[in-house]
Amino acid sequence: MSTPLVPYGQGRARGLGAAALGVHGDEMDRLVALGLPVVPGLTVPVGHAEELTDPAVARSAVDLVSQLAGRTVGDPAHPVLLRLVASAPLPAAGLPPEVVAIGLTPGNVDGLVGVIGRDGDLHQAWGALLRLLAEDALGVDPAERDDALAGIPAPRDQLSALLALCATSGLGPVPEDAAGQLALAATAVLRRWASPRGARARRTQRLPPDLGLALHVQALRIGHWERSGHGLATSRDPETGRAVATGRFHRGVRRTAPSAAGSEESLSGLGPAGEVLQQALTTLEHHFGSVAEVGFELRDGRVSLLSAGAVERPTPRAAVCLAVDLADAGVLTRAGAVRSLAPSAVQELLHASVRLTGSEAVLATGLAASPGAAEGVVCLSAQRVLALAADGTPAVLVADETDPGDVPAILVAGAVLTAHGGLASHAAVVARGAGTPAVCGASSLRIDRAQGLVSAGDLQVREGEVVTVDGRTGTVYLGAVDIRPAEPPAELDRLLGWADGSRRMGVRANSDTVRETEVALRLGAEGIGLCRTEHQFLGERLPLVQRMLLAPDAAAHRAALEELRRAQHEDFVHLLRAVGDRPVTVRLLDAPLHEFLPRDAVYEDEAARLRAAELHEVNPMLGVRGVRLALLDEELYPAQAEALFLAWVQVVEEGVRPLLEVMVPLVSLPEELAVAAGQVRLARDRVEAQTGVRVPYLLGSMVETPRAALLADRMAEHAHFLSFGTNDLTQMTYGFSRDDVESRLLRSYLDRGLLTASPFAELDADGVGALMALAVDRARRVRPEIKIGLCGEHGGDAASVAWLEGLGLDYVSCSPQRVPVARLAAAQAVL
Amino acid sequence: MTEASTAAVPLDDAARAALLELAVRGLHRGALGPAQRQLVDAGLAMVKGPLVMPTAEGRAAAADELRLPEGGEQETTLRRLMTTFLPINHRLRELCTSWQRRPDGSANDHGDPAYDAAVRDELDDVDEAVGRVLRRMAEAAPSLAHYRADLTAALEAFDDGHTGMLTSPLEPSYHTVWMWLHQELLLMLGMSREEDGELEAALVAAPSA
Repeated sequence: MSTPLVPYGQGRARGLGAAALGVHGDEMDRLVALGLPVVPGLTVPVGHAEELTDPAVARSAVDLVSQLAGRTVGDPAHPVLLRLVASAPLPAAGLPPEVVAIGLTPGNVDGLVGVIGRDGDLHQAWGALLRLLAEDALGVDPAERDDALAGIPAPRDQLSALLALCATSGLGPVPEDAAGQLALAATAVLRRWASPRGARARRTQRLPPDLGLALHVQALRIGHWERSGHGLATSRDPETGRAVATGRFHRGVRRTAPSAAGSEESLSGLGPAGEVLQQALTTLEHHFGSVAEVGFELRDGRVSLLSAGAVERPTPRAAVCLAVDLADAGVLTRAGAVRSLAPSAVQELLHASVRLTGSEAVLATGLAASPGAAEGVVCLSAQRVLALAADGTPAVLVADETDPGDVPAILVAGAVLTAHGGLASHAAVVARGAGTPAVCGASSLRIDRAQGLVSAGDLQVREGEVVTVDGRTGTVYLGAVDIRPAEPPAELDRLLGWADGSRRMGVRANSDTVRETEVALRLGAEGIGLCRTEHQFLGERLPLVQRMLLAPDAAAHRAALEELRRAQHEDFVHLLRAVGDRPVTVRLLDAPLHEFLPRDAVYEDEAARLRAAELHEVNPMLGVRGVRLALLDEELYPAQAEALFLAWVQVVEEGVRPLLEVMVPLVSLPEELAVAAGQVRLARDRVEAQTGVRVPYLLGSMVETPRAALLADRMAEHAHFLSFGTNDLTQMTYGFSRDDVESRLLRSYLDRGLLTASPFAELDADGVGALMALAVDRARRVRPEIKIGLCGEHGGDAASVAWLEGLGLDYVSCSPQRVPVARLAAAQAVL
Repeated sequence: MTEASTAAVPLDDAARAALLELAVRGLHRGALGPAQRQLVDAGLAMVKGPLVMPTAEGRAAAADELRLPEGGEQETTLRRLMTTFLPINHRLRELCTSWQRRPDGSANDHGDPAYDAAVRDELDDVDEAVGRVLRRMAEAAPSLAHYRADLTAALEAFDDGHTGMLTSPLEPSYHTVWMWLHQELLLMLGMSREEDGELEAALVAAPSA
C-alpha cells in the first residue's frame, strides 16, 4: 500500500483530522477552508511518518510538493527548496526543530545565491541542515565535527568541510538530490522525537509516551531577499488590546523558526502585504473567537500563512477588547461576550502590575495576600509610614505582623509586607479591603527594628531603601521595578454593563470608609453589604476605647461611651453621604475587646492593669465577641445604633436617603438576636424622642456559626435579612483556625490532594455549602421574602459566586476591588 | 595588619584554592574552615555574618594568580573562544528570563507545562552549545574542565524536580555555575565586566547576513 501524501487543504475531504494530520496539518486544512493563502505543502499522516525515510516515498513527496508549488527543485529561474516540519496530534512543545533548505547542493547553491542577492542566510540555513543530517541521521560525532571545522574561518569552506566529513566519518555522504536529503531529514526528526530529550518533553507535558508525529513537507520558494521574508504576527496589540496586527518580520530567506533576534523589523515594512495579513488575522479572530496568531512567509511581496492558532493566554486587555469587538461585529452575542471573558482577566485589569525584565533581584517571596503592585520606601513602623505619606512619599510597611494600631498606616501605605501570618492575617484582610497590595508570610525575612534592617538570606535592605511588592505573585524585589498602573480600557465598562443586564444576584461591597465606598461605587457596587464598625474604634479613637474598656466605674464608662458615640456619629455621616440612596449594611461591633488594649501593656495605674487582665481570653476567636459583647455591656450596641440613626436623620435633611440595614454579628442563639434587636429598637426610640423622626431600618443577623445556620428558621423570626459570614462559618465548620491552617497545613493538604483549594478562597460546597443550603431553605420557609446575602471574600471568588447563584442568594458582598469580578461571575452563572 | 605582613605570610595550597574560589564565586557561605581562616588572617578575606567575602587585596591577589600570560597561546585561544561563549551567554540569560517570566511580563507561575517544556527544551540547545565551547576551552585551560560536570549536575538536579536549580542564586544552580565560569574566564583574561558586556552586545547585534 502506498504512503498517503495529503496536500494542505485536502485532509477534511478524506475524513482526516488532527489525529492523523497532526495539529499543523489540521490547522492548514482549516486555513484553506477559510479561503486564506497558505504555503504549498503536504502531510505524511501520523503512523506513516517512518515511511518518509524511504527515498522512494520521499521522491513522491518532492514531486507532489513541486506540483503544488508550480516550481521544481533545481529550476534556476524559479527555484524552490523544501522544509520539513513535524507536528503531533495534540498541541506540544519540544517538538523536533524545523529542517529548512532541503535540496541545497554544492551544484545549485551559487545559482540560488544569485537569485536571492546575498549569501548569509542561505549559508546559515545550509549549515543548520548539514549539522542536523550529520549528527542525527549520519552518526557523525559532534566533537569530531567541531574539531574538523575549528581551523576553517570562511563559512563556505566550513560547509565543504562538513560535507567531506559526512562522507568520511558518517554513515554515508549527504545525498545530492532533494528526495535523498528529505528521507535523511525525516530520519533525523524522528530520531530526535524518540531520543531522551523528546521523551522528557512528552513526560513533562503529560503527553502519551508513544505520541506519534505527522510530518509536513512545505515548499520554500526562493526569491530576491528584499521581497522575501518570514515573521510572526498576532491579531492584537497586547499593550492596548486594539485590533492591530503586531509582530516581527525578518527580511530574507527563512532559516529557522522565526524567532532569531537582531535582524527583525516591524510589520509596517510589509507594505501592501500587511493589509492582507491584517484581513487574515481578522478572519481568524472571528473563526477562533479568540486572539489569533500566525506565522507567515513573504515571497515577491505576497503573504502566505505557515501556521495559525488561537493565542492561549491573551493579555487581559486584548481579551476584553476582543470580546467587545466580536459582539459589535455580530460574531458573538453580548451574552456570549460576557461568557467569553475569564473573571481573573477582569481582576488583572484593575490592579497595577509589574513588568519584569529578568534582571530583578528577588528579596523574598511570601503569600500573594492582596493583589496589585507598588514600590516604596521600607518603613519598619506605622509612624514612619504615616510621616512619609504626609509628604507624599510612597511607603512600604514592613513588619513581622500587623495589629489594629497599624490600620491607618496600611490604608495610606503603597504596599504591605509581613514575615508572618496567612492569607487571613490581619495585614492581609485589611490590605485587601483597602486595595493595598500585600505580601504576607514571607518567612525568610528577619526584621531588626532596632538596627533598621531587613534581611532575607544574604540580602539586606535598610529602612529608607526602596523595594517593590507584587501582591499578585507574592514576590518582593529589591529596588524599584517598572510598574504599570491599572487603566482598564473603556471596553471593560461596556462589557460589565452587559453583564449587569443579565445577572440576577445583586453585588455589593464590603467597605468601612468613605474612600473604600467611593472606589466600590465607581466599580459598580449597588450598595454596601458590610460596613465593619471596628475601624471606628482604632487610630486616634483607641485611647478613648481604652478609657471605656478600663473605666473604673459606671459613670466613667458612660462618659467614655458618650464621647465614642459622638465620634461615631461623624463617621456615619460621612459614610452615609458617600452611600447616597443605596442600601448599606452596618455591622455592630464584632471584635474581641482585648484587641483594643494597649499592645505595650502600659497602663495608667495598677487598677487599670488588673481590669485589662480580666479581659484576657484563652481563645479570643471563640470568646467574648460579636453579639456576646452586647449582652455583657448593654450600652454598647444602643450607642452605636443611636450614632447611626442620628447620622441618618442628618443626611436625610441634606437630601440623601440611604437604606439602613443593621446587622448583628456572631449570633448562635436566636435569643441573642432578640436581645440585640431590642437594643437597636431602644436606640430607634431614643432618636425618635430626640428628633421626632422614626428612622426606618431593617434588622438582620450574620450567619457565621453552624448553630445559627441550623436554626435559621428561628433566626428569621427576628430578622429581615440574613448574611452569611463564610470566613467564620468555614473556620467553625472545619474547626480550622484560618491563619494557622493556611500558613502551616494548607500546602500539605493541597499536595496530598486532600483539598483542591483553600476553603477560605473557594467556598466548600460539600460541607459549608450544605449548611448554607439548609439555612436558606429553613429561613425562607418561615419568611419567604427574607433577603439572604453573603459578605466575605467568597463573594469575590468567581467559582464561589457561580455556586451561590445556584443557592438562590439575593446578593453577594465582596471587597471593593473584586466587585467587577463578582458582577461578571454573577452574570456568567445565569448565562 | 600591614601590607608587608600580608605579603610575608605564604598561603598553603588549600588557602590559595580557597582564595581563587572566593574571587570566582564572590562569597563563601558556611563554616569558616582553616583555609578561610588563613585568608582572613592574611587580610585577603573578611567575615560578614554567615559569609566570607574577599577583600580588595584578596580580589587583586586572586586576579594576579588567575591571569593568563598576556599574548600567550592560552590567552589568545580563550579570547577567541569568548566570542563564541558570549552569544551563548546572552541566550542563557534570555532563557532564564523566559523561565522566570512570561512574554507578557507577568511572572511565570509554572502553571503551563507546555510553556515550561519549551523553555526546558531550549535549554538543551544552550547546554549543547556551551558544552562545545567549554570542551575547546578546557583543552586550552584544563582548570575549566570541571564546569562541564557542574553544569550537568545542576541540570540533572533540575530535571529531578529541584526547580530552583535553573536560576536560584542561593543554590549551585545552572545559572550560578555558569556565572562562576564566566567570572573565572574574565579573571583569566583580565577583562572587565564593562568590556565583556560591550563585546557581548556587539556580537549579539552583529548582522547575521
